[in-house]
Amino acid sequence: MDFDKNLLQVAIDIAKSSGAKDVIAKMTLGKEYQIRFSNSAIDLSTQWNRDVLELFLSIGRRVDVISIPNPTESILKQDIPKAVEKLRSASRTLLYWGMYRKRAESKPLESIYDSKIEDFYEKSPELVNTAIQTSINSGSKKVAGVLYFGNLKLGVLTSFGNGGIYNSSYYQFSIRSFVDPLSSGQDVVVGRSLTNIEKKMANAGENSSKIAKMAVGNQQGQPGTYDLIMSPIVAANVFNYLTDGANPVYIIGKMSCLGKSMNKMIGPENLTISDDPTIEDGLYSRPFDYEGVPSQKTPLIKNGKMVGLIHNTTSAFLWRLLLKFGSRTTGNSYLGSAVLDEYGPKVLAPLPTNTVYEPGDYSLEEMISESKRPTIYVTSNWYTRFTSMVEGIFSTIPRDGIFLIENGQITKPICKIRIADNLLRMMKNIIAIGKDVKQIKWWEVEHPAFIPTIKIKDVPITSASK
Amino acid sequence: MNMLNERDLADFAIDFGLQKGAKYVDARLIEVYEEDYIARNGMFISIQDKKRKGMGIRTIVDGGMAFGSTEVLTKDSIQQLINDITKMARASKRKAPIEFSEEKAEQTTWSTEVKRSFADVSKQEKKDYIKYLDKRLKRDVQGKLSSRIIVFILYSDNKYYINSEGTKIESKHSLGNVMTMNTARSKNGVEQRNFGQGGSGGWEWFENVNFDQMLVEDCQGLAKASQYAMKKQFEKPIDVVISGEVAGIICHENVGHPSEADRILGREGAQAGESFYADLLKEGKIGEIKLGTENVTIIDDPTIPGTAGFYIYDDEGVKARPRFLIKNGNLNELLLNREYAARLGLKSNAASRSVSFEKEPITRMANTYFAPGDFNSLDELFEDIKEGIYMKTFTEWNIDDRRFQSKYVGLEVYLIENGKLTDKMIKRPVLELTTKGILESVDAVTKQIERSFGQCGKGDPMQGIPVSMGGACVRLRNIRVGGGQ
Repeated sequence: MDFDKNLLQVAIDIAKSSGAKDVIAKMTLGKEYQIRFSNSAIDLSTQWNRDVLELFLSIGRRVDVISIPNPTESILKQDIPKAVEKLRSASRTLLYWGMYRKRAESKPLESIYDSKIEDFYEKSPELVNTAIQTSINSGSKKVAGVLYFGNLKLGVLTSFGNGGIYNSSYYQFSIRSFVDPLSSGQDVVVGRSLTNIEKKMANAGENSSKIAKMAVGNQQGQPGTYDLIMSPIVAANVFNYLTDGANPVYIIGKMSCLGKSMNKMIGPENLTISDDPTIEDGLYSRPFDYEGVPSQKTPLIKNGKMVGLIHNTTSAFLWRLLLKFGSRTTGNSYLGSAVLDEYGPKVLAPLPTNTVYEPGDYSLEEMISESKRPTIYVTSNWYTRFTSMVEGIFSTIPRDGIFLIENGQITKPICKIRIADNLLRMMKNIIAIGKDVKQIKWWEVEHPAFIPTIKIKDVPITSASK
Repeated sequence: MNMLNERDLADFAIDFGLQKGAKYVDARLIEVYEEDYIARNGMFISIQDKKRKGMGIRTIVDGGMAFGSTEVLTKDSIQQLINDITKMARASKRKAPIEFSEEKAEQTTWSTEVKRSFADVSKQEKKDYIKYLDKRLKRDVQGKLSSRIIVFILYSDNKYYINSEGTKIESKHSLGNVMTMNTARSKNGVEQRNFGQGGSGGWEWFENVNFDQMLVEDCQGLAKASQYAMKKQFEKPIDVVISGEVAGIICHENVGHPSEADRILGREGAQAGESFYADLLKEGKIGEIKLGTENVTIIDDPTIPGTAGFYIYDDEGVKARPRFLIKNGNLNELLLNREYAARLGLKSNAASRSVSFEKEPITRMANTYFAPGDFNSLDELFEDIKEGIYMKTFTEWNIDDRRFQSKYVGLEVYLIENGKLTDKMIKRPVLELTTKGILESVDAVTKQIERSFGQCGKGDPMQGIPVSMGGACVRLRNIRVGGGQ
């Protein structure tokens, strides 16, 4: 099975001739894989066969999204008119006010496909087992993790003629090494290009093992106020919750703490963050969005000042309506679930692509050696939850290597602590930005961030009282 | 019961998998119909019908396990998928082969009792009900709810499960659930809360539980907290009474998750983490390990009709039964699927669940709750408390990945003084306690129980599965309460 633009056009033509006005046809074809491992052995290998056409249909503000697996012209002729007929009696939605109408030309993004993905399936188990062995050779006793990879052909075409077809490859490797049940370390390596993938995965095994060894003998951390050095893994988890709020839909829904931050200084002057779907190797890089709008870099925070939001056509319209000043789509339109992965209705809404931080000028070693106040270095975290999303009040739990720094040196590994702070205060309190920008995406980081190590002053640390 | 037309393809998958050298094969053919509604402040953001049908196939070959799924339900497609996953399983090169516990082969059917199916209720009636809920929030909640988001998910499926050991089970399940996210604002501050309820059954479920009243009362508590709750610092440890809702989340997070055998044995090591039970089991035997006072009995039971976690057979074809995780303060039983039961030399207790044909079945909870005790009422729990708090609802919570260090932040919380509940509200008090610290502090439990809905997250890729959690109201003695600064 293969597909070309003709299939997308046929779907749009059937929808239009049945009475639909605005239409998006999105086709996904290919295979995605996963290898899960724990206790230093592969537990499960998974293959997902993708062959599905999703159609966004609208008549005015009445919208629907349907999925058609294994689409052929005859199936399209059978399913689409029924869906359009049903649409006529649907309720109008608040979340659709049109899509991009002008003719748009997108530039191809060569860096999102690596032909080496074609035979990666054959050698991936061996690479996983090599990474496991590298970790063990470096001193760990058991290793767990996951490798995802995929080879997909994606097509988007709108009823205004925008979009195109492209191939994409990706991999995501996360590995956690244990020396004992309480001494562990994690590393993540992700990207589009498979060049040197063997070495990258083995290095991740070695790095995670190194952190795990450093964590041996960890002791209960003491609650108090500390300066905090967050590895890229932790910084991506924590600060993605903040930058995800640079989204008008989240602001309107009171799920963002950035509602009153536009044009205000919310970070230090050396903090610059963009949404960038064009960055090389970016897992969410793409030539155009789901409305066919060519991808562009959108500054969110520039020299510490909040300067932008991500938009699709609808959110830009709503923003103009609410705030009476100009906004336009930033090419962030996405057709996906509104609630959770595959859960709840699919909507066309703005979503972030790759969140990209400008590098700072610190190395990790410099951040540690300049730490004259009590400082904690955290290498991974999980379970971030909010008391108030609109105020940014949250806590999260560091895991794997956590290290106490006193007088410019790591003095001991610690454990069993919790970071309990406010996102806006943390961003304002950034005192050092690393030069080690790294792409992060894993189980606890839903969309990719190119982010360095970040140091923050005066962070409340708590622990259990009984 | 509706029959799925493609059952012969699932049967074929088993035969073909065995021909390809598999020691074990199972297939789940599932057709899902879902109606989704989202409204904000009474206006619809999205209404959608979703229909999906597909098959998930799992094989064990040369000791390695592989899983694959497809929505293309043709013989060729299934054949190709099995060829691929068979190769993948072999390529695992495991030294210790994956094995499953021996279980009885079952040929049966089961279904959820439905009085009024979702399909029999018009879209207009459903939309009217959601608008009615929003109207009640506007009318009956004193104070400003500046944002009211209601998500309605009406789910039903037909499933055909077959494995190479002779089990064939057809089922028909139906579950409705509502999630809401509400924001209350006042001069005193802002409070936010996710509140949900759900259960197996049809449209009648919402009427049976008086969902409208439950939602209104929850939002009244939210609005009151935003208006009246004040910070209070407790210098010394106090007594804390928790509602069934708070007891439920503790049962789920501090006891249910660490009871999952796949965690204990490391399979979730890189994602949801391991379990402190691994340490306990090195030092003692199941049934002999003390983990709380004798007032503590915590049960996970999939077989309760009308609950969110209801099922009769799990996704490995094993018949469900109640699991007494902690019995009178003793660690009594783990949650087991077939793979991890075999590793421990035990039988599965039917804890294997999957959210979709695209996801592998893994060890999950169903309906986890704090078993009732002897106390007749909340007032009896308050009677001998000089100074304490009653935590009725919670907001932020989290727990470390070995399930030992937990945090629960109160939302609707009242001060108890001299044996009586007062109307003084405490703003965001924090219980930051270990699992042992909580369970060893329980000295009284009420007879009445309540249940809340949850979407439990576990697995990679993430599987958010419907569960309920709840139980009796519980009194905890001598607790240091934070959050007053």
